[in-house]
Amino acid sequence: MRLELGNIYINDVKLSDTTKVENGVLYVNKEEMLKEIGGDEHIKSIDLELAHPGEEVRITPVKDVIEPRVKVEGPGGIFPGVLSKVDTVGSGRTHALKNVAVVTAGKIVGFQEGIIDMTGPGADYTPFSKTHNVVVLIEPVEGLKQHEHEAALRMIGFKAAAYLGKVAKDLTPDEVKVYETEPLFESVKKYPDLPKVGYVYMLQTQGLLHDTYVYGVDAKKIVPTILYPTEIMDGAIVSGNCVSACDKNPTYVHLNNGIIEDLFEKHGKEINFVGVIITNENVYLADKERSSNWTAKLCKYLSLDGVIVSQEGFGNPDTDLIMNCKKIENEGVKTVIVTDEYAGRDGASQSLADADPKADAVVTNGNANETIVLPPMKRVIGTTEFVDVIAGGFDGSLRPDGSIEVEIQAITGATNETGYVTLSSKGY
Amino acid sequence: MVKEIERAGIPVVHICTVVPISLTVGANRIVPAIAIPHPLGNPALDASEEKSLRRKIVMNSLKALTTEVEGQTVFEE
Repeated sequence: MRLELGNIYINDVKLSDTTKVENGVLYVNKEEMLKEIGGDEHIKSIDLELAHPGEEVRITPVKDVIEPRVKVEGPGGIFPGVLSKVDTVGSGRTHALKNVAVVTAGKIVGFQEGIIDMTGPGADYTPFSKTHNVVVLIEPVEGLKQHEHEAALRMIGFKAAAYLGKVAKDLTPDEVKVYETEPLFESVKKYPDLPKVGYVYMLQTQGLLHDTYVYGVDAKKIVPTILYPTEIMDGAIVSGNCVSACDKNPTYVHLNNGIIEDLFEKHGKEINFVGVIITNENVYLADKERSSNWTAKLCKYLSLDGVIVSQEGFGNPDTDLIMNCKKIENEGVKTVIVTDEYAGRDGASQSLADADPKADAVVTNGNANETIVLPPMKRVIGTTEFVDVIAGGFDGSLRPDGSIEVEIQAITGATNETGYVTLSSKGY
Repeated sequence: MVKEIERAGIPVVHICTVVPISLTVGANRIVPAIAIPHPLGNPALDASEEKSLRRKIVMNSLKALTTEVEGQTVFEE
């Protein structure tokens, strides 16, 4: 499967009477966009604000972040099984608007939504302080159930990204990257001497607003299966997560998964990147056992020499991570696990809820319990009234002067477990 | 908590969903629970079925509490 990804670099976003891209500037017709993405019966009001890198702006509570993309050639459309028909995507050509993100925000759904600061110390912790953000502020009707609220704004976010993505269809990209995965036997024939490497992509599926969708299927109902990496670049996997902001994978991260891109970079040179095994993180022990058994089985069946395993979220998914690691290692396949830590504010506690000697190659993306003081911002998009109760916040987090003391857990993407962050750790 | 109470000389049964974590942490008597969001019940069942499920977990736990163990033991039903 071969995908050409055309990147169009955007250096500013402005409101205008026509939605278009001109000289690297994305112009947005707010009225037209709201008309196209609004209309959900569960939503009382919907509005749009822009936030740019370096501005004194705080966005919270943030639910999802999405990159605008559009399918230009090849089967299917962006977000198959969700927005587009359920065709298999990942081939042909796709265009992406780089440096731009749709951010969905508004009244809290659960208690695990995030903060994005566009400047100051908090901005260093979130990758989305570097993007020009089109923030969609969504307020639900009174009495709406949480899961309906989440579903409504999830769909609005995708529609918003698709609306903006459409303008990229007829543009000439600034660069075109080609990603190709051959069928297994062909790739092994082509690169007989290179180690066969796979990626085990763990998806958050704990339920109760902690969910991920694959071609529209709730991923807690899947058994582990194989995807071509480029399917994911076309939105085959989307987030429906209100899990801790620091280490959930927003849809933006699924589209731009750094592990996949780096494995492609080395494909055909140092390794043979044969594909992605997706698996879940369910709340029944039998599901955890079954899914980790199957990931190990698939790794062996594909004759892999090594895999990278990334986690999403923390707590009981630590067990899914360790089960995957242990069982895959037991099949004679080397593993590197990618995670983050909840080691207490002083960093002295055990980092993961589970452990095993086989987990001897670990990449961590930081300690989510570390605290930070975020200074007041001139403008708040959304509301800071929930800061004390979101995961990472505590009683007194929001101070009278508008500054906020929180664990970095509350910052969107701060310890992302695909490495879409600047934080990391070194062993001494 | 399981370990501290046992250290004081009182046997403990740890009812938990994620048995591997309980094994890692060092509980001696482990009874598997239903699921992480509802360890001691199952909202998919009707009231009488659920009561019977709950009773089974409690009875199994009492049995575990009164069983001599040598090392970590998981009491499957």
